[in-house]
Amino acid sequence: MQIIACYSNKGGVGKTATAVNLAYAFATSGRRTLLCDLDPQGASGFYFRVKPSKKLTEARFFEDVEHFTKSIRGSDYDNLDILPANMSFRDFDVFLSKMKDARSRLKKALKAVKSDYDIVLLDCPPNISILSENVFRAADAVVTPVIPTTLSQRTFEQLLEFFREHDLLMEKIHAFFSMVQGTKSLHGEMIVELTHNYPKRIMAAKIPFASEIERMGMLRAPVLATAPNSPAGKAYQALFDELLERIAP
Amino acid sequence: MSVEQLNNLTDSNIQGLVPILDWDKDEYSFAILDYFEQNLRKSQRLLFVIDEQMELLTTEGAILSQHARPDTRFVTEFQEGPVKEALTDLSPLRALITVASGTMRNGKLTLIDNEGKTHARAGLRELMPISGKAVVLIAPQGLRGYDQALDDLTAHIRTSGGTSLTAGNLYRMIDHACVNYVAKPTVDIRQEETAFDTATNLIDSYLPIVRVNEYGIIHDLDTEFLHDYRIALRKIRSVLSLFKGVYDIDQTHQLKMRFSALMTPTGPLRDLDVYLLEQESFYSLVPYTMHSGLDAMFSLMRSRRTDEQARLATYLKTSRYKKEIKALTKLFSKKRKLKPGPNSSRTSYDFACELIWKRYRKICRLAATINVATPDQEIHQLRIECKKLRYLMEFFSPVFPQEPFDSLLKSLKRLQDSLGLFNDCVVQQINLQAFVDDLSDEQHKLEITQSIGSLITILYQHQSAEREKITDAFGRFSSSRMQRSFRTLFRSREEF
Repeated sequence: MQIIACYSNKGGVGKTATAVNLAYAFATSGRRTLLCDLDPQGASGFYFRVKPSKKLTEARFFEDVEHFTKSIRGSDYDNLDILPANMSFRDFDVFLSKMKDARSRLKKALKAVKSDYDIVLLDCPPNISILSENVFRAADAVVTPVIPTTLSQRTFEQLLEFFREHDLLMEKIHAFFSMVQGTKSLHGEMIVELTHNYPKRIMAAKIPFASEIERMGMLRAPVLATAPNSPAGKAYQALFDELLERIAP
Repeated sequence: MSVEQLNNLTDSNIQGLVPILDWDKDEYSFAILDYFEQNLRKSQRLLFVIDEQMELLTTEGAILSQHARPDTRFVTEFQEGPVKEALTDLSPLRALITVASGTMRNGKLTLIDNEGKTHARAGLRELMPISGKAVVLIAPQGLRGYDQALDDLTAHIRTSGGTSLTAGNLYRMIDHACVNYVAKPTVDIRQEETAFDTATNLIDSYLPIVRVNEYGIIHDLDTEFLHDYRIALRKIRSVLSLFKGVYDIDQTHQLKMRFSALMTPTGPLRDLDVYLLEQESFYSLVPYTMHSGLDAMFSLMRSRRTDEQARLATYLKTSRYKKEIKALTKLFSKKRKLKPGPNSSRTSYDFACELIWKRYRKICRLAATINVATPDQEIHQLRIECKKLRYLMEFFSPVFPQEPFDSLLKSLKRLQDSLGLFNDCVVQQINLQAFVDDLSDEQHKLEITQSIGSLITILYQHQSAEREKITDAFGRFSSSRMQRSFRTLFRSREEF
């Protein structure tokens, strides 16, 4: 089982859209996939029409294997299950901080489903916290969307700094440019600069700023399912293919 | 379930979930295959061929699939694969025949909630057979975390008239009449019924088996049709000859002639079938250098078989044959024109005891004279007697207590197996010799003659080896312990 986290310490960068489409791509490639929605806003679950879990509170997530596995819901697609989020997840950090050995709790919780899935995708909330550190420790790969703007560059560098400070494996980070607008010259310049500064950390695939991605909220389905041949659909497929190459054991 | 039942099922919401029915546009051809005796149905298996894919639903409910080679009718001809492997218990001699065929389409039944999320679904397969009723197969599939919806759907399918998918249920839904054939009918005989009724019921039960196998012989589906056809006729003839005095003597004689006349035209084809089925063992008996002669011999046999099969098929289609078999069927089902003989009103139990006991005594007497020097002809005579005893015991088995009866029958079968092997060796030597004598100016005559010569030598050696075993087997069968068992079961009570 491989654990892949979709993470950004900045909100509104297309993180959930990435998690949803990557999860779909993994599932259609024949891998048994679980998408865990760790974001209390519960957007991943929403895209798959899965209602938020009422019963799954933080204590249960980390302690009670039975409740954790019982809260998993099958999506409408083969090989793809969802662990829907719950508003109580917002207190994860407080809860985790009280727990002994907090930093590897997530990994332990995920062990319960180890034999059920080939891939577990984590859709993470946008902050750097104890939960984030848990995510970084548990994950085999951290997929990070970066909008090619100055502000995003700053948060990306903060992430790299966090990895350095906490002695985390830098190779886990697989960043890519998200919400790219070809008409904006600033976007082009930032892409060149960041790619030059962090050649190993940044992938070649780029996700465009596209109406299909925005429409996901209306259609409540991955772009790869509704419009696989659109520019956005092709971009997500390319992102998936490249990621697969990078994380292949 | 039926198409109508499915439509009813999807008419209204199921526990608050909306059923959505969605059929694919593509249609496929399908066939359901089984043996003539429906061995697959009887072992709770179901074999589909969908376009070029074979699917087997096993007794345990698993689905195995593999590529289907076109025009393969025998399991032995299947490509290697899980389906072939799961069917190895079936007779290699029987062909798979089509129980139903037609077109089919796949579909999906989905139960969604008010946000359009699927909670349960079911794979659908609608079978539209060329003849018979259309049937929908439903395979409910749960989604993780929605167990309740799956339970609700399954319960709803049941209450709407759905039954579990077994070959029996499916065959009956398509065509209720297609599940009736049994090669060995069990004829219920009561102890106090008359010998006349018993004989008539037996013959009346075997005649339909004769009839039902005609189709397979005419279309040459497999060799077992003819085999079963002949067995049924032979059983009828045994009833006529073994149940002495049940019918009027003249009428019995007439009937024997008529059934014998039905049997005669089937002989040559069956003989050729037996040789061709034994091909492999013949090859293993002679050295490699003799194989080309066997090749020529079997190729000649195959071409003769084609002619014989055509001849028999033509004969079975003649109005003369049809008229005769219909007349005989009517005679035994109406019974009015059957004339009772001197033994007709005896009870079947008394009659059976006497016949079986006499036959057994006769076998013991003959067996006592058997030794290594006994001529083949006498052993052959003993074999015939044993066969008669076997038929008698099988006919009358319902009137005797099962346990001691079955154990005697088992000893008899063992003896017959030994005798059978011996007899095969003898008969094959004679027939092979006759085959050689018959060869006029065939090509490869010399090669064939040489190969047959060495075959006969080997068969003779086998025959000699079997003979010793037979003497022992007879010893056991006529031992005093065995005699006591036979006496207890079949000797009339008043003599004790």
